[in-house]
Amino acid sequence: MKEIELLSLDKKVFFEKLKNGLEIYLVPYDNKENYYISYATKFGSDVLKFDLDGDTYVPPLGIAHYLEHKMFEEPSGIDPFTFFSESGTDANAMTSYDSTQYICYGTKEFNKNLRYLIKYVNTPYFTDENVNKEKGIITEEIKMYDSLPDYKLEMKLRENIYKKLSRRYDIAGTEKEINKITKEDLYKCYNSFYLPNNMFILIVGKFNMNEAINIIKEELEEKLEYKLPKIYTQKEQIEVNKKNETINADIETPKIGIGLKISKKDLKIKGVELDLYLSMLMTILFGSSSLFREKVRNDQLLNDIYMEWENTEDFKTFYLFATSKNPDKLIEEINKEFDKVKIEEEHFNRIKKVWIANEVKMIDNIEKTEYNLYDEIINYGKITPNRIELIKKMNIDKLNKLINIIDFSNKSILKMLPTKK
Amino acid sequence: MQYIKKDMASYNLHLINTNKYKTITVKVMFHTPIKKEEITIRNVLSDILLLSTKKYPNKRDMIIESENLYAADIYNNTQRLGNYISTSFILQVLNDKYTEKDNLKKAVEFLSEIIFNPDIEDEKFKKNKLKIVKDNCEIALSSIKENPANYSVIRLNEEFRKDSPISYRMNGYKSDIEKITEKNLYSYYKKMIDTNHVDIFVTGEFENQEIIDLIRNYFKFRKIKKQRIPYFIDNTKPRKKALTKKETLSISQSKLSIACPIGKLSEYERNYPLVLANIIFGGGSDSILFKKVREENSLCYVIYSSLNKLDNTITIKAGIDKKNFTKTIEVINKVLDQVQKGKFTNKDIQIAKKIYENAIFSIEEDPHQIINEYLTEQIIKFENYKERVSIMNKVTKREIIKVLKKIKIDTIFLLEGEE
Repeated sequence: MKEIELLSLDKKVFFEKLKNGLEIYLVPYDNKENYYISYATKFGSDVLKFDLDGDTYVPPLGIAHYLEHKMFEEPSGIDPFTFFSESGTDANAMTSYDSTQYICYGTKEFNKNLRYLIKYVNTPYFTDENVNKEKGIITEEIKMYDSLPDYKLEMKLRENIYKKLSRRYDIAGTEKEINKITKEDLYKCYNSFYLPNNMFILIVGKFNMNEAINIIKEELEEKLEYKLPKIYTQKEQIEVNKKNETINADIETPKIGIGLKISKKDLKIKGVELDLYLSMLMTILFGSSSLFREKVRNDQLLNDIYMEWENTEDFKTFYLFATSKNPDKLIEEINKEFDKVKIEEEHFNRIKKVWIANEVKMIDNIEKTEYNLYDEIINYGKITPNRIELIKKMNIDKLNKLINIIDFSNKSILKMLPTKK
Repeated sequence: MQYIKKDMASYNLHLINTNKYKTITVKVMFHTPIKKEEITIRNVLSDILLLSTKKYPNKRDMIIESENLYAADIYNNTQRLGNYISTSFILQVLNDKYTEKDNLKKAVEFLSEIIFNPDIEDEKFKKNKLKIVKDNCEIALSSIKENPANYSVIRLNEEFRKDSPISYRMNGYKSDIEKITEKNLYSYYKKMIDTNHVDIFVTGEFENQEIIDLIRNYFKFRKIKKQRIPYFIDNTKPRKKALTKKETLSISQSKLSIACPIGKLSEYERNYPLVLANIIFGGGSDSILFKKVREENSLCYVIYSSLNKLDNTITIKAGIDKKNFTKTIEVINKVLDQVQKGKFTNKDIQIAKKIYENAIFSIEEDPHQIINEYLTEQIIKFENYKERVSIMNKVTKREIIKVLKKIKIDTIFLLEGEE
């Protein structure tokens, strides 16, 4: 096992890669009661088309998510939820664009639960009957999200940013698409992507490392690796798909969504460093201690705001969602910020201080640490041991150079207005 | 972990000393018997205190101060606890050993400034600040239908117990907003500070005496207040016939909420068998409701029940297709009937006990959970969490059935989608 010390955080990550490619990340805590186990595959809703048996294959949209639901079927008929609940352990699974994970979280029966988690994910069991049964449930899940105006806003914005990229589609698919799914589709995807060389295990919390490693090796060392199929990615244009649109919904106060699409091609920085600088940029422009926030608060232009960066192979996309009584004026203020980006040194240094403090706070929390490390594995393929040092090293000149390369005009603006009754 | 409760005459100070957290959390709670007409003004007050103070005339100034204190978090929270409304101001800051000497002291001083040094002039809050808060409040209230699951429960509770605090909207009422003035808001502020019962919780790693001195120095309350009415709501009599109400909303999925009052219970029954009964019925992730309604009948994606001991109610929530309404109610009724007849296994009971045990084991993982635990022990007056597991493990099937029999479906509310 390789020891990776998370500098300045008094925490170690133990890493091992098995011969068949399976990656193991163990992060033991001695002052907690809980453990959090995640067994994941780097297969999500981003895969729209791949080579199979000498042909190209396009599964119905929502297949990765459907597959996640069906993993819980076992030939024994025993539901994994039932198994985990016997020890009072929480179990769940999540599908995202770039991965699918199966988790359990609790304080008891670590060994038994770890072994079972690996076993049930390694046991695909799909029949016509059990595949059909899920259609009603997933349709309700899709409808549950569909009923939320904020969700509709995000989905529409994605369609307007990306003309072809997989990120414009709902992870769960659509009712029409999922009705096409057969057990053959599920087996095809499972066999192509649930392979040790495409998967990893991440465990954070209270557990015995030696026992964990032994169980993982017993269950997974013999699994054969296979070459991953060729995945066809979409050729996405640099320009946003649609620059402006207005839609209506059953809401009281208007909402806006803005997507800034940046091509990674000419950006000289990459990896963790790039993400830190991009995050710093938007925190300074629109964060809670920005002048923008103070202005829109005093002018009553903003009631709610949410921002996030998205990473894809070729792009970095910045999303900003807000609720506002005067959406046009708010959009004007946001555009002003993009038109003349100004970075103040004091603000820059203060945010660095905040981020370093946050790194220390987060390590206290098992779940947050798990989410952060999981994202690092997916986004960078490894753990970053020196995040705090990287933050300390950030300098304002590098940020300004980055700002000069970015095309702030490549944005899509979406307005959601109340339906007139 | 060491717990000390000190009666400081005009407030209770709770010290939870542990080296499990890198942060120190200070939670100042104001409790008072809830009055429907005061909910909105109290929410507005709580927000305006976080918008500016005498020393920090703008929100941005306050945020900059937080950032300089090594990302100290300060926020507010309001909740109803039975017959009481509780408003909290919470500070969470890294222990000085990760920041610098006196950082905690400055952070506590900041919290004190927010509570005791409001941005007022001539016994009035500032007009422009009040306008901002009222505006935000109005917009938040206008958007309650945008979270259909929450809205369904709000409407359910209004139909369930019309004149009880159970029916009150904790986000407030639009019609109350315009009645708030700069002057009456300040009067309400003084009323809260002077007459509300106060609890201050501090968790983290510290020297007890240092914290006692620090809090004593920065938090001074004038009167000694007694709490006269109970937290528990008297809610033991169900309707003779279940009431069904529906409302339409343009959403694609319908939200079903059901209120089930529980009959009269002893303290033991409420704290022990009832908890297991709820987990078995619908609270656990593999509950009977989940198994029957979702897995067996594919009627929903989400279904669960939650227990509110102070309200003496179990609430069932589910997202369904409106065409399945009658069938879903039928299945839920059947499930309740079956569990009341004892149609659940010893394994179900063992699982529920394990779920409970896990929850108890997890209390110390998070400062907010441990604070909530000690607050609950003060209100409900049951055994300390470390002792409760062994008592829970001795609960029998007979005791669980006895409690289940007291649960009745009283009010059904369907937020019907129209798409």
